[in-house]
Amino acid sequence: MVTRTSLVIILLLTLAVIAGVRFSLLLGLGITIGFVLERYGFGFAGPWRRFIRDRDAQGIIAQLIAIGLTALAIQPLIAYAPGTLIGAIAPVSLTMIIAAAVFGLSMQMILGCGSGTLVNAGSGNPLALAALPFFGLGSFLGSLLIPVAIQSTPHIPLSLTKLLGVERSVVITLAGLLIIGLVVRGFSQGPIWNRRFLTAAILLAALAILHVLIAGQPWGVVYGLGLWAAKAAQGIGWDPNTAQFWVHPINASALKGSILTDTTSLTNIGLVMGSALAAWIDSVNRPFKQPIAIWYYLIAALFGLLLGISSRLAFGCNVGGLFSGIASGSVHGWAWLVAGFIGSIAGVYLRDNLWLLASREAK
Amino acid sequence: MTRRVGIIIAVSAVVFIVVFDWLLGTPPDPYRAPDPMAFGSTSGASGAICSFAPGAEE
Repeated sequence: MVTRTSLVIILLLTLAVIAGVRFSLLLGLGITIGFVLERYGFGFAGPWRRFIRDRDAQGIIAQLIAIGLTALAIQPLIAYAPGTLIGAIAPVSLTMIIAAAVFGLSMQMILGCGSGTLVNAGSGNPLALAALPFFGLGSFLGSLLIPVAIQSTPHIPLSLTKLLGVERSVVITLAGLLIIGLVVRGFSQGPIWNRRFLTAAILLAALAILHVLIAGQPWGVVYGLGLWAAKAAQGIGWDPNTAQFWVHPINASALKGSILTDTTSLTNIGLVMGSALAAWIDSVNRPFKQPIAIWYYLIAALFGLLLGISSRLAFGCNVGGLFSGIASGSVHGWAWLVAGFIGSIAGVYLRDNLWLLASREAK
Repeated sequence: MTRRVGIIIAVSAVVFIVVFDWLLGTPPDPYRAPDPMAFGSTSGASGAICSFAPGAEE
């Protein structure tokens, strides 16, 4: 453990010297998030699956608390420092809602959401390792489709803080989370509180708030993955000037700069490293091979691709769209939640059937 | 084969991406680094965020 901690400290100090302190802090934040998610077994796809299948609401209740605590802090902070700090505000549209539903379905198929796929890959899960490159590719393809989606359907950005003021926005956000919590409790069979998940939720909220203070913007995942794929595409001859999304100064600057200075890239790298650190010792006792037919890896790759495309068109995955969207007061976060959950219901049933088939064939 | 193999693959892939980007792209310049924290500084968010929708901004 001491060796691993020393390595992380050396890495962070090196990054602070070669890139800057902010980027070092962001990598450290990502490593901590990855470590917490892996160590506490906390995520998004798993708790939704347990609620849909077993009516176990413990994970969802913890998620709602994490989002609520984050909202309570970041909405006033962003309002206090407009321009310097920004929220995860995105438009609501038909394509956004359909995309969130597709993401919900896809994340159940590989049992990994935006953050979960990175954390699972970091902990050595072969299905996540198969899905992750395609997640990045899909995110890039989705970025090329965003202008088409925006031109074809009305996209309306709705920020509760701008519409109603910060105080009302915070109250409505917390009330909305409370109502969902009560509905979830109504469907739950068994206890809704879980100390391990609640600890993880509080830690995650603290880290998400720190993210806003350091980066100036809420935590996200999918932008960084798309950026990596865009850089790879550029390396094999793709011209970013042909893509409306990538000629925008913000995206063009990210594409031109180092990934060591890109916020979501750094936290993504950190998620993989943090979960790797958390899973390292136990990894020798866990088999690499999954008890499934090889074709399920192709399913994972396919749904990894869909995760990427859909999360770009939904303006974020479960992290950038759902978690950070709702916490920032963006209505698109709420639309994401509903659509993503409906997609997840279909995803749970589809996965169970295909997994059963893949398990039988493997025997 | 254990999960440790998977961890090594994942971390190696991340290292490969960073090295590949470093060699083919623009390396970071510490002299142009923003303030350590956006909050309370003049160097705020980059805006490169998942919710960013060029053409449909507020």
